[in-house]
Amino acid sequence: MSGRGRGRGTNSTLTHEQMQALGIARGDNAQQVLAPPPLFPKLDTKPLPLICDAATSYMVIVKDQFIEYLHESPAYVKASKETDGIERYSDKYKLLALDANKERILDCIWTNFPPELRPQAGRARSAARKRKLDDPNEMERRLKVLEKKETQEHTTEVTDTGETSKKDDIDEDIEDEEEHEDEIDDGTDYANNYFDNGEDYEDEDDNLDDDPVY
Amino acid sequence: MSHQLGRLVSQILQRYFGEIVEKVGNDLFMYGIKPIGMIMKTTGLPRTQVIESLRTLLKFDLAKFESTSGNVDYKLLPDNVLVLIRYPRYLLQMKSKYGTEAELIVEELLQRAACSATLLLVSIANKYKDDTEKNLTIVTLKDTFISLATATYIQQAPVAQLKDGSDIPDLVQVASIVPDLDTRLLMQAMVNPADIKDNVYWKVNYDRFHQDFTDEIMINAMTRRIDDDAGEVMRLLIQEMYLSSSAWAEESNVVALTDLREHASRLKDRPLLQQHLEHYLKVMEENGAGFIRRAGDAGGGQYSVQVKWAARQLVESVLDHVVTERLGSKAARIFRLIRAKKYIEEEDIQKNAMLPNKECKQLTYKLLEEHFVSVQPMRKSQQVSGTQKGIYLYHVKLFDVVHVCREMCYRALHNLSRARSQLVSVHARALDKQRRVRTIVHGMRLRSEPQKNIDDVLETLTPPEVSLLAQVEKQLKQLSAAELELDRNLFILNWYLVYP
Repeated sequence: MSGRGRGRGTNSTLTHEQMQALGIARGDNAQQVLAPPPLFPKLDTKPLPLICDAATSYMVIVKDQFIEYLHESPAYVKASKETDGIERYSDKYKLLALDANKERILDCIWTNFPPELRPQAGRARSAARKRKLDDPNEMERRLKVLEKKETQEHTTEVTDTGETSKKDDIDEDIEDEEEHEDEIDDGTDYANNYFDNGEDYEDEDDNLDDDPVY
Repeated sequence: MSHQLGRLVSQILQRYFGEIVEKVGNDLFMYGIKPIGMIMKTTGLPRTQVIESLRTLLKFDLAKFESTSGNVDYKLLPDNVLVLIRYPRYLLQMKSKYGTEAELIVEELLQRAACSATLLLVSIANKYKDDTEKNLTIVTLKDTFISLATATYIQQAPVAQLKDGSDIPDLVQVASIVPDLDTRLLMQAMVNPADIKDNVYWKVNYDRFHQDFTDEIMINAMTRRIDDDAGEVMRLLIQEMYLSSSAWAEESNVVALTDLREHASRLKDRPLLQQHLEHYLKVMEENGAGFIRRAGDAGGGQYSVQVKWAARQLVESVLDHVVTERLGSKAARIFRLIRAKKYIEEEDIQKNAMLPNKECKQLTYKLLEEHFVSVQPMRKSQQVSGTQKGIYLYHVKLFDVVHVCREMCYRALHNLSRARSQLVSVHARALDKQRRVRTIVHGMRLRSEPQKNIDDVLETLTPPEVSLLAQVEKQLKQLSAAELELDRNLFILNWYLVYP
């Protein structure tokens, strides 16, 4: 509170001398401005004129050409357009132009790229995913097997050794198929079972509380 | 890594590569390093589009990837994004220095970002096969390519190396070996470009171009300050400098007078220079803004080029110019005074600047407000009393001011780009019509249809439209020119920042 004794009497934070030292005289205070400053304030001085020689116009042209080239090239990534559901006559031509552009991919040195960006990555996987059932012969065989199985179930459940072996074969086949299907579906990590029942938790830590072994 | 830089980078990406690449680039700029999954999450774009954008960014060297324990992270390189605006300048340099062939090679290489020598030459040759005006042959192209590679304007692209156990490549910079191209094979490749099996890739070496620019700036400075012959001496000195010093050295190794005289004697068209070489060196040393320094007396005199000092001098003159244009010549006087005196008190500024008291203060505070000068408070001994005035020393922190000025350039560039896209979008319809008319007319000319029909097509553009388009075109050109000019300034500012 010691500072207060001196500070009393004057309302302002600065003394008269200090104000004068800052260059503010009595009655010199500007009117308070309440309006926001203009969005585009006027320049105090006019900017210098730009040089417009042949070199500049050459550079401007070259620049525009380069940008135009990029816009045509596959480097310019376009969003897949959503249509508004109205068919138009011009659609036909637009689609044609789109198709021409669509199949092109950027020519890069793919060995210098991380594998996830290489175009082969996607295609190789889709080839490996060829399903067994696509083959018509295979399909027919499978249908027959299933039919037989069905008729078997209707009849009495006689279990021969031969029959079981055959049945096992079928089951295996079906299981195989199911497994295959699983593989196709697991696009996300959620399909894998990461569940930890917590049994292993602190298993090894238990010994820490015990007395050290000498 | 400032806010202004981020805005500018995203604006450039949008203009050159479209909105999706811009989104990805901006995301990478904001967060630094990120894997694909995270980019997808924050931008909300589908995976294919993110991948395509990353391909574009990596191809043009605008981003790089780092692999850590099997994951691949991507990082944006903002400096290389800014280089995109400098491409026209590289091409101009090539055209004026090495001619059309070099320009075409560099242009094609910039467009392809990285390309093998054979494919590059063959595609240029095929493109201009029917162009009798340019009269290109594969042989001259090949020779130009080799001379460009020798002068390191183009260099080999980094080569992928696979570490054992991972399929993520490591990019390793390799020393460029000037290729030995067989003309006969090139001719064959021209006929069927499909079976080119050249897998040595080349790319443009920006750094070499930047060196050229700095040399040119220094030579021009000497020419303007003294005369043409002094500029020629500077050129000789810089030539000698590159023989013995590393590229971005702060100060060159010494150059002997005898060597200079030998080179000067080969310049037949400059008799004055041969006669008065020593005088020129003397004048440049004393009055050449300290670009060169006499380093020793052995062998009649040894000189060295003070590159770092030159950069500083140039940056100072850029800043003077900026202050003059922004706040007037009186403020520039105060700015120069503070810089010359290093640390100066406010009262001394008033005495030395020879300006009315109040105006001087106002301008000083204005400079302070715009961060051109800084203030260092000093306290007199231990006494802490209210009445006692503290001492405030004004000074110029050049490094900080350069940064401030760079921010201004970024902001201005961003604004220009925005203004441009605004202008284009407002007049999109008219511009589109003009383009269509031009293509139709071009087609008709090729088919040599009668002039009357062509005039009919041309008349579809009404006179008001024509005048509007002319106006828009003029404005667009002005904006582009301003952009290039700003980039020049930015180049000098960055040059100063190269030296720590």
